[in-house]
Amino acid sequence: MSAIAEEIREAYAAVGITLDQPATFGTYYRLLCDGCGRMLGQVGDKLLPGMAAEIVGRQRDLYASGLLGCACGHQRRMQEKPA
Amino acid sequence: MSEMDTILDAEERGRTGLWPFWRKLYAQGDPLPAFPAPAARAYRFDEDDPLPEEYKSLLLRMLRHEGERAGNKSFLGLMATCLDLAEALFPDRESKLIKAEYVAEELKHAIMFHRLAVGLERDFALRDVPYAHYSFHLPRETWADDAYFHFFVDLNGAFHSRDWRESSYVPLAKMATTVERDELGHSEMGYHFLQQICSEPRGRELAQRLLAKWYPAALDMFGRSDSPNVPKFIGWGLKTIGNAEIRELYKGYVDRKIAALGLDVPDERRDRKFL
Repeated sequence: MSAIAEEIREAYAAVGITLDQPATFGTYYRLLCDGCGRMLGQVGDKLLPGMAAEIVGRQRDLYASGLLGCACGHQRRMQEKPA
Repeated sequence: MSEMDTILDAEERGRTGLWPFWRKLYAQGDPLPAFPAPAARAYRFDEDDPLPEEYKSLLLRMLRHEGERAGNKSFLGLMATCLDLAEALFPDRESKLIKAEYVAEELKHAIMFHRLAVGLERDFALRDVPYAHYSFHLPRETWADDAYFHFFVDLNGAFHSRDWRESSYVPLAKMATTVERDELGHSEMGYHFLQQICSEPRGRELAQRLLAKWYPAALDMFGRSDSPNVPKFIGWGLKTIGNAEIRELYKGYVDRKIAALGLDVPDERRDRKFL
């Protein structure tokens, strides 16, 4: 896994989302719900350094409000837990 | 029936009230802003002409960025993500079918650019070139993300294709009108989905927040305003317009469309990586 992919994995793990194996020729990865395994989206591995953490960090309230994240509510519940 | 006629026939049969999205736009006149008149053309090269080394190098560089080639595994990978998202996130069956039409049309471009690549340098036709710009890699976690991807990224393709109408490389100039029209339609497809999303308050709230992620990336796609390669591209007739100028025209276009959605246009300098 590239350094950027590792950054992406860490950033999403913090909100309850798993970075799956490379989906297509090593460039794009599926994002899976940690709670139920459902596919939530896609991300590529050519983000700039630090970008993944910044994007996910800014979206935390969207996971908390249910505007982002899985219908099963896993990411929302993750945001309710004390850090 | 020729290969292209077969494709055109298939396209005709795929038409619906919505698809292709470019049809309504062009029926109202030229939807894109006027580009500055190009300088008199000093060069003109066709497929079998010997190409100056620098010219060929710049042309290949441009085509590497463009990426829509049948032999480019990374392009096919990007298309696979679109299908994956359509399967996982589609809001209704019509949207899913529209996305299938989109992928079909991009694959048509992949055939067109494949032919161009073979005519230019055979080895290039099979070269895998992952998309280097971060905008192609931003996370898409909702249908709204995907809609922004198409609205902004495909529109970038339409603007560059408009410029290629004047290209000194004849095979590229010949396909430019079709690619421009299709890419503008893809952008309008994204905009159609954004209109649906913004029609209710929670959707509009999400769209406003996600815009902060996509808007700087969209403006960054045109590269640095002081790129040292731009004068070379213009000198050889491979471009007619600099990065700053085309970005400004693009910005004017998207800003009007964003405002029409009832969204606030972000500060153009915020979170930019390539000024």
